[in-house]
Amino acid sequence: MRLIFIGIIITSLLGAGAYVLKLQRDNVILKENAVKLESAISEQKTLIENQKKDFAEILEANKKINALVNNLKKDLDDLDKRFTKKDRDIGKLAIERTKVIERIINKGSENAKRCIEIASGSPLTEEEKNATKKSEINPECPSIANPAYIPY
Amino acid sequence: MLIPLIFLTNCSGVKQLSIFKEEVKRQELNLEKPSPLQLEQIKWIIITSENADEVFKKMEEQGLDPVLFGLTDNDYQLIAKNFAQIRNQLKITNDILDKYKEYYEPKEKNND
Repeated sequence: MRLIFIGIIITSLLGAGAYVLKLQRDNVILKENAVKLESAISEQKTLIENQKKDFAEILEANKKINALVNNLKKDLDDLDKRFTKKDRDIGKLAIERTKVIERIINKGSENAKRCIEIASGSPLTEEEKNATKKSEINPECPSIANPAYIPY
Repeated sequence: MLIPLIFLTNCSGVKQLSIFKEEVKRQELNLEKPSPLQLEQIKWIIITSENADEVFKKMEEQGLDPVLFGLTDNDYQLIAKNFAQIRNQLKITNDILDKYKEYYEPKEKNND
């Protein structure tokens, strides 16, 4: 009876010791898990920040493209106005002042050629970049050829 | 009695958390942008019933074939507008392409 009692006490002590060891191991794992979770949360925060930046970039790109489309549309409208301004008839003008109109048309054609080159990626010259006066700009496409020009 | 106790205390417990991360970066396309156009300058000649003879005579003097491919004044306006539309489309397409490249292949990443 006494031996059984001693056996129970020893077993209990060993069990308690093993349980404490297990708790210690669990504790280590829990600490590691906590570190991992914190790192995961931090990564998620970074991800959300990056997504915000991406959205801002997308909005900005859309804004710029829309502005470009509007400016180019304005250039096209201006071209139309130049042909029809004050009931202008370019045919009649060409009969009356052939040489002058020929010169104007050839100059316009040269400007239009340059506009296509710029639109295809040709870099702007310093003159084009710095043009601010009407006499300095490319009237066919000032929105893309003369970034410093503000219509007045 | 001791052995089952040890087994019991070890079987149930906290499991180690595993987070799997796999980041596979897509290869950048890196296509070269086409070279900007360098167009030839063309010369417009206005021909009317009054100057036709003079124009053809001058062309012959310059060694050119006395022939012209003509447009009416209305068609001239249309061709000018058509070219302006092509130019606008080219510019927009080019800029969209640049924006895509900036967005998906920013310079900071390229320098990494």
